Amino acid sequence: MNSMIRSFVVAALLATSVAPAWAGKGGSAGQIKSAVASGSVDAIIAEIERAESLMCSECIDVMTNLLDHSRYEVREAAGWWFAKRPSLRLMMIDQMVSDLGSGTGVSVRNAADFLGSVRAVDKLGALTAAYDRGVSAEARLAIVRAAGEIGSRSGNALLLKGLADADAGVRTMAVASWRDMSGQAGAASVVALLSDTDAGVRAQAAATVGGLRELSGRARLETLVVSDPEATVRRNAAWALGELGQKESAAALDAASGDASPLVRGVAKAARRSLR
Amino acid sequence: MVPKLAHALIIALAGLVVVPSCNSDDGGALGDVKSLVFLQRPKRNEMGDIFQYTSYRPGGRIVELSPPTADGKLRVLCCDNIPGFEKVDISGYDLSFDATQMVFAGKLDGNQHYGLFVLTLADGKVEQLRTDPQRDYVSPIFVPGNKIMFTTTAVVEPGAPQFRDEYERGVTLQLGIINSDGTGEELGPRNLSHRVFPTLLSDGRVMITQWDHLGQMNAGHLHIIRPDMTSLREAFGKESTGITNSYLKAREISPGRVIAIGSSRDRTIQSGTLIDIRLGKPSTKDGVVSAETDAAEANASYKIYSANVPLGREPSSPTVGRYYDAFPLNAKEFPDLLVSWSDGTVESETLGAAGLSANFGIYLYDTKAQVRKPIWDDPEMWDLFARPLQSRTAPPEIPAAAANGIDNAAFMIGSINVYSSSIAKFDAGSVYGVRVMEGFSSEEGFPRNFGSTMFEGHAQLGISKVQNDNSWLAMVPPNVPIHLQAIDKFGMSLQNEPVWFSGKPGEASVCGGCHEPRDRSQIPNPGVTDAFVVGPTQMMPHTPRAARQSTTYTRDGIIGVPWDLALQPIFNDKCVSCHNGVAGPANPSYTITDPATGASATWVFDLRGGPVNLAVGDFMMDGYSASYLSLAGPDPEAIERAKVMISGNFKVYMRPTDARGSEVIRKLNPVLQFPEQNAGVRAFATSPHSASAGFTELSPNEFYRMILAADMGANFYSRENKPQ
Repeated sequence: MNSMIRSFVVAALLATSVAPAWAGKGGSAGQIKSAVASGSVDAIIAEIERAESLMCSECIDVMTNLLDHSRYEVREAAGWWFAKRPSLRLMMIDQMVSDLGSGTGVSVRNAADFLGSVRAVDKLGALTAAYDRGVSAEARLAIVRAAGEIGSRSGNALLLKGLADADAGVRTMAVASWRDMSGQAGAASVVALLSDTDAGVRAQAAATVGGLRELSGRARLETLVVSDPEATVRRNAAWALGELGQKESAAALDAASGDASPLVRGVAKAARRSLR
Repeated sequence: MVPKLAHALIIALAGLVVVPSCNSDDGGALGDVKSLVFLQRPKRNEMGDIFQYTSYRPGGRIVELSPPTADGKLRVLCCDNIPGFEKVDISGYDLSFDATQMVFAGKLDGNQHYGLFVLTLADGKVEQLRTDPQRDYVSPIFVPGNKIMFTTTAVVEPGAPQFRDEYERGVTLQLGIINSDGTGEELGPRNLSHRVFPTLLSDGRVMITQWDHLGQMNAGHLHIIRPDMTSLREAFGKESTGITNSYLKAREISPGRVIAIGSSRDRTIQSGTLIDIRLGKPSTKDGVVSAETDAAEANASYKIYSANVPLGREPSSPTVGRYYDAFPLNAKEFPDLLVSWSDGTVESETLGAAGLSANFGIYLYDTKAQVRKPIWDDPEMWDLFARPLQSRTAPPEIPAAAANGIDNAAFMIGSINVYSSSIAKFDAGSVYGVRVMEGFSSEEGFPRNFGSTMFEGHAQLGISKVQNDNSWLAMVPPNVPIHLQAIDKFGMSLQNEPVWFSGKPGEASVCGGCHEPRDRSQIPNPGVTDAFVVGPTQMMPHTPRAARQSTTYTRDGIIGVPWDLALQPIFNDKCVSCHNGVAGPANPSYTITDPATGASATWVFDLRGGPVNLAVGDFMMDGYSASYLSLAGPDPEAIERAKVMISGNFKVYMRPTDARGSEVIRKLNPVLQFPEQNAGVRAFATSPHSASAGFTELSPNEFYRMILAADMGANFYSRENKPQ
């Protein structure tokens, strides 16, 4: 969000909110500012949480600025603060949707993070449109992350785009998010990523396929567990085969039980014992 | 700078209250200890609150110091030169009973989660245990039976997301257990917030810190649980035994006695003061002070061994600092401790402003003289969780609790005599039954809150009638946080239990009473209780989570109370002709003024639905309907602490978990609900509002909706009206 728009939003919020120093749980605008000035992420987040019920003009200003903080943890916590205030949340959502439509990479990233943190399920379309606009990989990652934070299966279509993204980081985020969508029923769409060129993606895909007990991924997992060059991929494949529990995986897990990596062999042995 | 030189320099510069370091032949508390093991983590200023577990900085290691003196030799036990561990951070560890193995929680790089690893000391080999690679596993401890207990973000309930903490933010940690070979992972029933820092007791049970939150309750208390994750009971911190907000990292000194860290929830880098907690009545034998006799919160006591360390979140003082952990070396009246201690403020904001981190080092602490003897302090690392590298006696293995024998897929709860209570005084015959309510946080898709109050999501699972002998029994869903209310025949809460608890499938938890006195036994009538004879009330023990919601809003059909769906129709039909936001006798108003700025807002009583018009006077409770804001009001906790002036007729008409004390309920004067609804019998002696106002009286079912809304926290959202 650029500074001019930012100023407008803050002004608009102030115009529609009176400003009693409402100090829920002992927070105050001064304490938030002090924490921000210290640069301690730990202190900033603590003060944001402590301001759960706090309402004051200074707080809105400070919290709005924190939506552009360099650290995701702080942006997420600031978004949570707005989520506690439904009208402010809605007003800020409108601005963030605007940023999604025309912003630069960082502002799109921040807008997506906000929409995720306030679980704006009705803005999945706007997130998808921003994704399709050809924004930066960092922004696309945030968009996919937002879909995961929102957690509705109506975001699956957006995650499918993320699964096919050119950037490995985006694909990794999409794979990890896929598992935790509310009521997610399977991971057939993720199975193909067990053959991804990026080891991080393959590792996450193995975990998601196992976590959702996607049986169509068994054969590929059996190959990965004995032949993938990355130990974390072999480990996750072993874990996943244990979750699938199919006796056909015994030979692969037996072989993996002798893996040279300490990350793999114990996991494979335990997975072997969990087969039906 | 090498650690030892750095250590000496730090001591000199800090001007600590220290004495010359001990050595291996001084015959002191460490006299027969050949070496210590401890954890080294790269220093940081980002631990978060006491429940956070995600902090990561590459370079963690487990080391051995032999002899255990400042001039001892430090040896890395794990994990130098092991492929895959080049960037590991280690957050916690435990030593096996025979001192041949260690289990630790490690994170291999920033893109992974914390997992569990077993290190064999003889050959230095490490193997990872089979845990979910997309979930965190931390704080492992060995427990008898070749098992390892831990806390994790993994979820016991398939398909359900993990609960968020009391702020509806952080993903919570819950208990789990796994065989030491990585098989047989079992996840425990869930608390609605965090459970952290398990520690083994000599009777074979496990003590944990549980974050208790329900309305005003907001603190980390010590609880004790069996290794099979059943039979949870309170140990310390409630019932006025507490001295600070949270107690963590407890370690047993002797039976019934632990040393723990007491601190604020946040900003203190998970460190604080040293507290010797005696869970029962102390006794001394052969110089060992224990406190297992009559262990009950009513009999608990404590001693603080670090008098000047703040109990809150404020910065500490030079030479006072804060303690990260403590390990007892003996069980004297004043025990000797191995501690991790840092000088300075040990508070994240002041450290951040100065560009510093806390610097925890290992010290031998004389609790009587309150003197620290330095052992090891690497200024670039946090030196944590020191303990002698020696074997210990394994506690007895506690077999799994017997199943309830009635429905081993359900959790059975009940009381022998509901009138037995240390916190409530019930009139004879006043308790009709016990209401059981499920709790959930906003992870199910809610917008990170449920209304303006501080209560989590609620669903009424059912009401169990109290039998003639005052017993009751119910079957509820396992692994689900629940809390209880003793209710009267009008359906109103007489006593609200302010904490959540849960049980695993097949578990039975039958208490003496309604929070019976914990320092005495409860004697049932001869034979089994009437509730057992009649059989437990079935409270949806096998109904899926998503299906636990109302299909009708009758007394017997209502589960959740969606404000806009269950209550607003009542207001629309019977109330809004008068209570319409137009100031007057029927619609009192109040004004909130900030004395600092003079800004103010006025609110007029209004029971209409739909979103509030901000231009009329939304002062903080934005977004909900006028009726909700008029009755539930702003967060009562915020009101108590607000530095604002309120003028006019300010009231919260619906008090969370207190329908009986709520003005709206008293004014309406509800009718009899149990055992049969009877509109001719009123709860209060006053004339009902309908008589004076002339509206059509609420039906018995409508009364019950209003009562349940209040008693379940005066929330706006329930499963029935969640936004997605």
